[in-house]
Amino acid sequence: TLTCGCIGDKCRAAVAWGHKQPLVVEEIEVFPPRDHEIRIKVVATGMCHSDLYFLVDCEGWSGFPAVLGHEGAGIVESVGPHVTKFRPGDKVIPVPITQCGECRFCLNPESNLCVKVEVPGLSHTCKGQTLVQFAGISTFSEYTVVSEVALAKINDSAPLETVCLLGCGIPTGYGAAINIAKVKPGSTCAVFGLGAVGLAAVMGCKAAGATRIIVIDTNKDKFEKAKVFGATDFVNPKDHARPIQEVLVEMTNGGVDFSLECVGNVDVMRSAFESCVKGWGVSVVVGYTESGEVSTLPMQLLAGRTWKGCFFGGYKSVESVPKLVDEYMAKKLKVDEFVSHRLPLDRINEAVDLLVQGKSIRTVLEISQVQ
Amino acid sequence: SATVIKCRAAVAWEPNKPLVMEEIEVAPPGAHEIRIKVVATGLCHTDLYHLFESKKKEGFPAVLGHEGAGIVESVGPGVTKFKPGDKVIPLFISQCGECKFCRNPKTNLCEKGWSNERYDVMSDDMSSFTCKGKTILQFMGTSTFSEYTVVNEIAVAKIHDSAPLDKVCLLGCGISTGYGAAVNTAKVEPGSTCAVFGLGAVGLAAVMGCKAAGASRIIAVDINSDKFEKAKVFGATDFVNPTELSKPVSQVLAEMTNGGVDFALECVGNVGVMRSALESCTKGWGVSVLVGWTDMYDFSARPIQLITGRTWKGSLFGGFKSKDGVPKLVDEYMAQKLKLDDFITHTMPLHQINDAIELMKHGKCIRTILNVCPE
Repeated sequence: TLTCGCIGDKCRAAVAWGHKQPLVVEEIEVFPPRDHEIRIKVVATGMCHSDLYFLVDCEGWSGFPAVLGHEGAGIVESVGPHVTKFRPGDKVIPVPITQCGECRFCLNPESNLCVKVEVPGLSHTCKGQTLVQFAGISTFSEYTVVSEVALAKINDSAPLETVCLLGCGIPTGYGAAINIAKVKPGSTCAVFGLGAVGLAAVMGCKAAGATRIIVIDTNKDKFEKAKVFGATDFVNPKDHARPIQEVLVEMTNGGVDFSLECVGNVDVMRSAFESCVKGWGVSVVVGYTESGEVSTLPMQLLAGRTWKGCFFGGYKSVESVPKLVDEYMAKKLKVDEFVSHRLPLDRINEAVDLLVQGKSIRTVLEISQVQ
Repeated sequence: SATVIKCRAAVAWEPNKPLVMEEIEVAPPGAHEIRIKVVATGLCHTDLYHLFESKKKEGFPAVLGHEGAGIVESVGPGVTKFKPGDKVIPLFISQCGECKFCRNPKTNLCEKGWSNERYDVMSDDMSSFTCKGKTILQFMGTSTFSEYTVVNEIAVAKIHDSAPLDKVCLLGCGISTGYGAAVNTAKVEPGSTCAVFGLGAVGLAAVMGCKAAGASRIIAVDINSDKFEKAKVFGATDFVNPTELSKPVSQVLAEMTNGGVDFALECVGNVGVMRSALESCTKGWGVSVLVGWTDMYDFSARPIQLITGRTWKGSLFGGFKSKDGVPKLVDEYMAQKLKLDDFITHTMPLHQINDAIELMKHGKCIRTILNVCPE
């Protein structure tokens, strides 16, 4: 356990030492919160595909060693100077984008891309080395320090071991459907990719009143869960010799009203876009990639399709996550159904394997006990 | 009258060759058709595209021209809303009023028109023209490089009786396309910053649209600095020539505008320029609209641009529902709320059409008005 205010407080964390290396649970030091920072005790965390981006997918990241994890929930342990909105004991969820409330983007109702990127960073050390804080958060640790513009205060009765999933994947997919695509009642939607983000997008399409939600995945084992969230039609591209967009256009008398790409692959993005009906079709890129380029014929846009994209479902982070928690508490939002596995921190590498092999939706890692 | 009319038209017999003035036969209007005496027509880049650039080499012989205005000569059975003497503009996008596209306020892409077969020429059995014993295809369903043409009534707009046809013909394509891209598709907002790529007639009309919508800053982008002066007439405030820059134009625009423009419009039809336009709008809320047309290549761009909040759109004919929109644009011109005369750089009779084509090929005109059957 940490005591407030001492330099060099120790706790356990899963440290990522290098690309493709197993995470190692180590004793690390976590510094006290500085100006406008908050130190939180992490109670539970999900593991999101983005956590694995540099660990497994993309080589050459200079951020090792690091503590990964950004989809967590916890309790405020201590606050730094000038922090007024949080107190020890508050239940909180760190958020993957900031909301300072003052910058040009925070002030514009159409955007959630706050520019005040404050990475507390350099608050964790292990064996004499500084550990990079992934996304400025690092929830694979019993304690972490986050910036006050990247922290949401949530309902006191919220079960942290479940709502931790509202720290990333679910708002990302759900918001993409509701805020960015702006799915309309009675419409036909297509969701590409049935990981947690895609399932959340299905949930969003349903909440917005879509009457037909076509889900597309190359792994048909995922269809059953998609049905739980509201999917009505199931298409596996492997069953078709033709391009998938042709299949969808045929199924829907010209194309879907809304499509959401929840994979992060530029070819799927093209398919999703070209699956939309001309005239008013809207396609949203939800899956994240920094590599590759999307392409299409200009005529696709000239014929009236709109292409959009978003980060974190377009939600202004600090103000929205508490509302999503409230929706869950009021049973208007499903979260439990995303939890496919629960594991303690010590078994984190199993969680990595499950995610890499596509065998989990969300594994919740129990990090600390709630007193 | 129900007889065939013999008249003169500029016929494109094959690609990449000059047009030839011929005597053609124009059939009487069939059911729901209207035969129009063409008074004046513009020459639009899309006419040249078909003649010189398109990969579709089978759209010949044809009578080109799709930016015209004229007077109803006769109507076919079932036509109740038009009569001989009405002033009209033929439309390359129809508006039947009944299909799901016409009923949706978000789009103007009526699916009942001839263009559901293919989007450049009407097929053999839909054409009303013959010449020397051969069927001559109707380009874009309009074919205004002819003294007479026949168009389905769902593709004809009835306009103000006093409208000067040798000006308002330009509302048949280029000006409506650019103006509408700004006001209907981009939905430019008051006080915003815009960038328009390409300063042909469509681009200048887009500048005009940005100004009408209240943009406070309109950056005109063209590789030919001679075009900036005219852009200023339409409201451009800044001028950028990418050939004079040492950095990519999207980067320069981002620096000029503290991150990127609110609205960018591509009015060239080149996939490289499209990419620049797509990347020039600001993250967060920027909107880029493709206006210029090509079917030759894909465009490419990085998805992180979309993920960081940009919206990419496009439209045909400025998103205007054609039959409803064109008469209103004519009225706006008559009320002096819309400029048309400033687009006209040359005027000549139809038989000099190849000169007009040369002017356009070499970028030496904005719009040439071809007088076909002067009023």
